[in-house]
Amino acid sequence: MQRSILWVLLAFLAISCNQTVKNEGDNQEAVKTEEIVSATIVELLAAPADYQDKEVAVSGMVTHVCRHGGQKCFIVADDGETQIRIVPGGDIDEFKIELEGSTVAFKGIFRVQTVELTAEELEEYESKEHHEVEQSHSDAEKAEYFLEAVDFKEVTP
Amino acid sequence: MGWRKWNRWIHRELGFLFFGMTIIYGISGIALNHSVARHWNPGIITNATSMQYPGTLQKSEVDRNTIEIILDLTGEKENYKQYYFPDQDHLMIYLKGGHIIVELQTGEMQLTKIRNRPVFSELNYLHYNKPKKLWTWFSDLYAFGLILIAISGLLLIKGKKGITGRGGILTIIGILIPLVLLIFYLWL
Repeated sequence: MQRSILWVLLAFLAISCNQTVKNEGDNQEAVKTEEIVSATIVELLAAPADYQDKEVAVSGMVTHVCRHGGQKCFIVADDGETQIRIVPGGDIDEFKIELEGSTVAFKGIFRVQTVELTAEELEEYESKEHHEVEQSHSDAEKAEYFLEAVDFKEVTP
Repeated sequence: MGWRKWNRWIHRELGFLFFGMTIIYGISGIALNHSVARHWNPGIITNATSMQYPGTLQKSEVDRNTIEIILDLTGEKENYKQYYFPDQDHLMIYLKGGHIIVELQTGEMQLTKIRNRPVFSELNYLHYNKPKKLWTWFSDLYAFGLILIAISGLLLIKGKKGITGRGGILTIIGILIPLVLLIFYLWL
């Protein structure tokens, strides 16, 4: 009886794992078939409508990674001022703090936030303990544009 | 075997089996509660040290040589990554495992070292289901087991101290507290 229960449990786990692997494979195939547009941060923010919901490749130095769960990070353009917010998407769970100061190439979907999301983000931003001091990525944090990253690679460590 | 004996058996065996999981989720639950409330960051430990640059600086004057001097002063030459100016008054030097913020006008430097908090970062890794795969199913099994432990716990004792007596009152209180707080925070 106990052996039967154990075998049923193991079979259930094996089937579930196989399904997960298959689904992940399908998603990767779907991503590969889409066209990827290469752009700089300045280009993206100068004409956001041109890139909205398109898959883009963008790179820059990571200036900040959210300390609470790594659910967003910011990269700065070559001008040293313009920044864009990156949020994890696809199989990315979080961004590690170790990315700060590294130049990273991101691939992802360029998004324009809806009104509801902006309100949520602003509410979070206005949390009094969010940051000890006002930081340079504050504008990018409040901005309605962001990149939902599906893949990234450190260019410089 | 009567149903009460089965009930006691389920409660006891699952209690033993899932002791470790309850501790994992209990400790990481407290940590994440306070992480969400922004009281404390369970994932990382930061140590800040204040130092002084000999003199003041201007943004236009900062070059690789200036950075080398600062890295020498802080003893972080081996850990240098890149630098940039967050604003007109500050210089940020990124290091492996931290950063240095320099206030240009005063020369005040703050070296911040960041490292993962042992134990908690691992527990959070599990609590957030970062491993996915088999962990998903084992933690689901645990959650289901926890429900069984709770239900079997209600029926463990009969009489005045059981579910029909004091136990029932405590159970109702335990249901009402989250319900009242939910109504208060969500709808009032």
